Amino acid sequence: MMNIEKGQIDVRDVGVIFGADTSNQVVAVNDVNLNVQPGEFVSLIGPSGCGKSTILSIVAGFQQPTSGEALLDGKLITKPSSERGVVFQQYSLFPWLTVRKNVEFGLKMAGVDQGKRSITARELLDLAGLLSFENHYPDQLSGGMKQRIGIVRALATSPQVLLMDEPFGALDTQTRVVMQEILTNIWQQFRISVLFITHDIEESIFLSDRVYVMTARPGRIKAEIKVPLPRPRTSDMTETPEFTGLVHELKGLIREESLAAMGPEIKTRGLEGFGMKVGPQGVGAIL
Amino acid sequence: MFNKRAQTAKIALVHPPADSDKATAAAETSNVQKFTVRDGAIPSAPEADPRPRMRPLLERVTRDQVVSALLACVSIGALFLFWYLGTKYRIEFYIRFKNVPTPYEVMQQAIQVGLSTKFLVNVVYSIRRIMFGFAVAIAVGVPLGLMIGRYRRVNDLFMPAIEILRPIPAIAWVPMSIMLWPNNEASIVFITFIGAFFPILLNTIHGVHSMDGVLIRAGRVLGANEARLLWNVVLPGSLPHIFTGLAVGMGVAWVSLIAAEMISGQFGVGYFTWEAYSLVNYPAIVLGMITIGILGLACSGIIRICGFFVMPWLAFAPGSKK
Repeated sequence: MMNIEKGQIDVRDVGVIFGADTSNQVVAVNDVNLNVQPGEFVSLIGPSGCGKSTILSIVAGFQQPTSGEALLDGKLITKPSSERGVVFQQYSLFPWLTVRKNVEFGLKMAGVDQGKRSITARELLDLAGLLSFENHYPDQLSGGMKQRIGIVRALATSPQVLLMDEPFGALDTQTRVVMQEILTNIWQQFRISVLFITHDIEESIFLSDRVYVMTARPGRIKAEIKVPLPRPRTSDMTETPEFTGLVHELKGLIREESLAAMGPEIKTRGLEGFGMKVGPQGVGAIL
Repeated sequence: MFNKRAQTAKIALVHPPADSDKATAAAETSNVQKFTVRDGAIPSAPEADPRPRMRPLLERVTRDQVVSALLACVSIGALFLFWYLGTKYRIEFYIRFKNVPTPYEVMQQAIQVGLSTKFLVNVVYSIRRIMFGFAVAIAVGVPLGLMIGRYRRVNDLFMPAIEILRPIPAIAWVPMSIMLWPNNEASIVFITFIGAFFPILLNTIHGVHSMDGVLIRAGRVLGANEARLLWNVVLPGSLPHIFTGLAVGMGVAWVSLIAAEMISGQFGVGYFTWEAYSLVNYPAIVLGMITIGILGLACSGIIRICGFFVMPWLAFAPGSKK
């Protein structure tokens, strides 16, 4: 399962158009090209509504692109499969199964017998530091715990790639930071390819080898940034000049797109065009 | 296979399990302290042992239960008191208690009837009919509901017919049922089935529809094929609604059964009650009614207990701690 040659994602000229008639068609994603090399951690970042989750659901096989194609190791992706693990934005644990049974689920579907299933699940739960909760139900756990279980559940079937759709979006800031460290740790162990969707700039830099920046709708790839920070990543790296430099660079790219996403008026006139001076005095002083 | 990795990773992961809940709780207490210090109040208050705070909670719960039990007694007691006073003074104020038997007469009837096997046979007949009709309603209603809920084409095929049949009350099926089925027993079971079937079916469909789609997607990426998805994800995900359907269905099943027994029956509690009316045995009417009430209560109690054991996770579901 540590086969480094496997797990290459290629997204080629993918376009997605919602709506059947030409009158109310919405171009969600346009001409997206991206790739994830085997064992690489790649983030896809962009303003909300830019279609980054659409790209992920195409790679996961939930959705078909209107044009273009998505490939895993050269094979066309047509439907969901356990070779592509997915960690969802919402909590997606089965509430009727205990924590261990949740982790075992994929193995059960693959026909692994109960004894082996249980051993693998317990090892993975130990890795996530949640072995003592194996017989709890998901509703008894905090958000951070649920997402950790969601990650190891996706890893249980030994997928070649892991697709993560803003997995920490619902967590509070402190938990998020801890979860990012846990994720780099786990990824360091497994070394599988990861496509990570986020709108958090620091998160994308901290975790990734490469970051793709998407434009506002219709989403296109605007830039691709390499993150040359050494591995393993630690939380004190976030204060290094390399890190803050990358954050600054990405912020500039994203800001433009966020303004564009808010509408053409704000894009052309900027915030100042509305007679607002958003400075240190804040919005309260203006009103 | 993960041993080595697990060990190395564990070192890095020793502290995170504390997680956000505890972390934020700690943050909150420290905030509280800051405030109290600033206000000049006793700063040690938040540090106090949490155990004394648990006790009043426990006491409140038990007192709560005592109050509930008392109110239940008052509720049933008031019913009996109304009945007792009505029959004692033979109230005639639009409603007429002239012929209504007293609680004492009914009790005597119960003792007399309890000694004979005839009454027991009636009860057994009713329970058997309920069990058959209800079992068939589950066996047909739940799978059909899952299919209709999951597949649009199955929905398109079945729903028009179901929507026409659904408004017909089970009692209206009595004449047709007698024509359709070879014997009396089968026709009464059929009517019980009709009563239970629609609530079970419709709640199952609703259960499938109200399931969070992310669970279906999660099942699919974890390698579940369609059949396994139905059995391992859609069915357990719809169980809470299915059990609502069972509870409602059980109530309607009893209504239908009693009506069918009264109209076309031989044996059964409904038949017993109607027969008592024909024979001008008024205490037996009330006894029959009370028996129906108790049996209905017992049946829904059994469903609730089953639900508790089949769906243990619901005890922790977000809505359960209101």
